[in-house]
Amino acid sequence: MTGKSDSGTRSDDDPASGADTHWSQVAQRHYEPDGRGGLTTTIVSAIAEVEGVSPTDLKSPPLYESVDVSAIEDAFFGRDVEEASRQGVGTVEFQYTRYLVKVRSDGWIQVYEPSEAEEV
Amino acid sequence: MSDEDGAARNREEEPFATDASTRGSLPPDILDADHVYSALNHPRRRYLCYTLLEDTEWSLADLATKIAAWESDVPEHEVREDKRDAVYVSLYHAHVPKLVEEDIITFDAATETITVAEHAEQVLAALEGIGGSLDFSQETHARSEMDDREE
Repeated sequence: MTGKSDSGTRSDDDPASGADTHWSQVAQRHYEPDGRGGLTTTIVSAIAEVEGVSPTDLKSPPLYESVDVSAIEDAFFGRDVEEASRQGVGTVEFQYTRYLVKVRSDGWIQVYEPSEAEEV
Repeated sequence: MSDEDGAARNREEEPFATDASTRGSLPPDILDADHVYSALNHPRRRYLCYTLLEDTEWSLADLATKIAAWESDVPEHEVREDKRDAVYVSLYHAHVPKLVEEDIITFDAATETITVAEHAEQVLAALEGIGGSLDFSQETHARSEMDDREE
């Protein structure tokens, strides 16, 4: 298992979904809003890295079947209204195939996969 | 007196009752506009719809190249590979499925081919109506091709 280094120190921040599932962070990206739908591409490239494939080869199912990324983009990174910038704060989590993906309003995207069941 | 009370009570209840029924009686074409706006509220989806005027069938790879060229303001043969791939990924994972859901295009996953579907005509009519001024900076390329067609 790779990339587990930081999962142990962030228990306060662990995804809550799936009561019995332990998740390990396996990839991280920072998204720079460009207003061109780059959030989808950034999420897909993070997952592709974990899968060891090129982003264009990560195919079925489309991310859209898990989540409408444009809606997240609008909520967190939407255009400024008048002179006030939009400041949605929080995290959106969704599951894509076996992965849990967190998109934070500060632009950090984290990909988790289920870790081995821990002996209790 | 009791009649009056009854009438008043009915009037008070009316606002709650009409909400659902009014919505149900809206003409279908107005409800359909939701599909159009939802489909077109992203620049890449508008670009995609403009390309359907040019051709009713596209391979996803060609479409990504064309849209990347428009966005980067370069000829198609000068589109950088990373830019084209970024567009391709966002089309595949976000915009194409959305337009499929709205019945504007169909997508054959095996051949990665896009073709026009039932609501395409309505969307293209809306695009022609919007005019170039609203989207000028982003969509001059797409508009100019559309306008050339009309001459």
